[in-house]
Amino acid sequence: MSATRERMAALKARLEASSPAPPPTPIEPVLAPPRRVFPTPKTRNRFAENAAAHTTALVGIGHVGTRYATDVILQFQAELAVAHQAVATELSESFAAQHALLPLQSRVTSHREFLLRPDLGRRLDEASLARLRSQAMKGIDVQPILADGLSATACMGSGVQLLQSFIRECEAFGLSVGTPVCARFARVWLEDEIGETVQAKVAAILLGERPGLGTGDGLSAYLVHAPKLGKTDGDRNMLSNIHTRGTRPEEAAKRLAVLARAMLEQGTSGVSLDLGKLAKELGDSGGRGYRAPQERVRLVEVPT
Amino acid sequence: MPMRLSSTIRGIAYAFGSVAEVLAKANAPKSGDVLAGLAARDPVERVAARAVLSELTLHDLRESPAVPYEVDELTRMVEDTLDEQAYRALSHLTVGQFREWLLETKTTGPVLRSVAKGLTPEMAAAVCKLMSTLDLMVVSKKCEVVVRANNTFGLAGRLSSRLQPNHPTDDIEGILTSLREGLSYGCGDAVLGVNPATDTPESTAEILKALTGVMEKNGIPTQQCVLSHVTVQLKALELGAPMGLMFQSLSGTEGGNRAFGISLALMDEAYDAMKAKRYAPGPNFMYFETGQGSALSSAAHHGADQLTLEARCYGFARRYEPFLVNTVVGFIGPEYLEDGPQITRAGLEDHFMGKLLGLSMGCDACFTYHARMSQDELEGLKVLLAAAGCSYLMSLPVGDDIMLNYQSTSFHDIPSVQALLGKRPTPEFDAWLAERGIWDDGPGERFGDPAVIR
Repeated sequence: MSATRERMAALKARLEASSPAPPPTPIEPVLAPPRRVFPTPKTRNRFAENAAAHTTALVGIGHVGTRYATDVILQFQAELAVAHQAVATELSESFAAQHALLPLQSRVTSHREFLLRPDLGRRLDEASLARLRSQAMKGIDVQPILADGLSATACMGSGVQLLQSFIRECEAFGLSVGTPVCARFARVWLEDEIGETVQAKVAAILLGERPGLGTGDGLSAYLVHAPKLGKTDGDRNMLSNIHTRGTRPEEAAKRLAVLARAMLEQGTSGVSLDLGKLAKELGDSGGRGYRAPQERVRLVEVPT
Repeated sequence: MPMRLSSTIRGIAYAFGSVAEVLAKANAPKSGDVLAGLAARDPVERVAARAVLSELTLHDLRESPAVPYEVDELTRMVEDTLDEQAYRALSHLTVGQFREWLLETKTTGPVLRSVAKGLTPEMAAAVCKLMSTLDLMVVSKKCEVVVRANNTFGLAGRLSSRLQPNHPTDDIEGILTSLREGLSYGCGDAVLGVNPATDTPESTAEILKALTGVMEKNGIPTQQCVLSHVTVQLKALELGAPMGLMFQSLSGTEGGNRAFGISLALMDEAYDAMKAKRYAPGPNFMYFETGQGSALSSAAHHGADQLTLEARCYGFARRYEPFLVNTVVGFIGPEYLEDGPQITRAGLEDHFMGKLLGLSMGCDACFTYHARMSQDELEGLKVLLAAAGCSYLMSLPVGDDIMLNYQSTSFHDIPSVQALLGKRPTPEFDAWLAERGIWDDGPGERFGDPAVIR
């Protein structure tokens, strides 16, 4: 007998002599774990109270072993689903006409291409360029642009309201406002070509912002002075987190009009725009990348 | 002998115009290479490029850097500081032979350490393109890179975490709330690192002081860092801010770094300032972040693919013997890494290349909400990275960055992955966790209780 066969025979004898694992121990009925509520009620302890006053981070949520409670995982999944759905939603082709806006489209032809080719989302397709040339007012102070950006949900939500408020606020300052347009598959820099084509002094694009957890309805606005192809991020001023739990659209519209007027007065925008004098009118926003604090809302409720 | 840049698959000949083209087309599929117009046109051409690449020698790669010596200070720095003895030991190998040598059992961690400084970034990128996921993991795990600041980092059997308590308005109480929660889950031994919303020296100093207060009150053996621009941190240092690590994002070309507002000279200056004024004893005190696609996004890619340019970031980082390097793999968006498979592959590639080049490498396994990656895929990547010996992952409340709006690793993920793979954080931090009743051979009485942190 070879050494291998001997070893196999010995192993077989050993394994068959006893069960490879002891029989399971009988178990008593398992007690239902305590109900864990998310978010933690503010009154429960000082940490939770402090957390609620200072942050929207999901803290004080406890743990099951090293993992999340069921209530937490469902809240998390709901927030994630809301964000993904906002990204996946497409702006319908009829949306612009329904709201009496001049319809434009970038060179992007599909939603997947929109996500993968930001360069195409920054340029108008030929039909749109022709339409803009023939139908839009030229030589205005401010060109307002509504667009889908990374959340058509936000655009279709409070987008029109923000656009109309912004136009009203600009007109109240005595600024001339161009033909309102609505662009599909649009990136921020599309405002450069639109603004340049209509010879606007300032272009303002209001568009759905990249969703965060549970916040698919946020809009951002980017303003640029003397718009033309080749402007960079440093040439722009922006306001983000425009939604009912952040900066409300009416409030945002006022701040954006203040920014537009300042650009016209100073003849510049972006890093070289002096925001010092505007501190009071702009509130805390400062017009450069500020995010208002927001409230975290519970998304999942199951009637019991 | 001139390089041969052609191969044949099933009778069809594939010819390539340059080493750069071979490298780009040999790369695993990446949306960023398609965006740059550099990707292989189909899977067969990709393999044909890999076949050509496998026959190039490491010497050939040294002679053909991704960006010419004359126009790029990073190329010059790497070329001029290469360890010639280590280089000569391997220069005659083809990339295919190099792959096999790396995988050999007798090529151990200490052997890999001996060659690290003789490798150019292009060599690391080239061999990476010939390796599968398991190849990358097997070799990465062998590379042990141990560094020290306030604790000893990167030892075998360890998995550390950066605690990332970001806040959209830099509210100090808000930051400390997330910080306490994370520490109570045993996170934060790599660094307590805050991305600030406001990039000013005063606010950087203020956050650093707050982090230091918690560290000192609770005796936590870790490092603190605020990830503002390096010029802002230099001013904060002058203000006397306690800085355990100094941070900067790096790109893989001189032009890409110019877009980031940095240069070799500036980083040398930052390194010298930290050497004189750092808070932790060191000797390692720099922290860098990278990510495939950064050079293309500033049109400074010189026709090179994003993996090769990522490797060049590590060639830059290597100069400063950093305490931490982190590839923020899914942060830049789907135009560079489209979906779960691309992000997963890139995370493992970056970790491999960084470790091979001798860096203390971690990975922010993450996605933005417009990339097609599921939470399940992301959790899988964390386990793959940890199994490959990744030095650290990030940690945030439920993985949600409320300032930067993306999804990363959570406070709960760190102890879960550690327990799954039998890993522990740095020895000093581990002892502190036991002393505080947070973790001692399993969750302690105070595990997940933020009140344990004063």
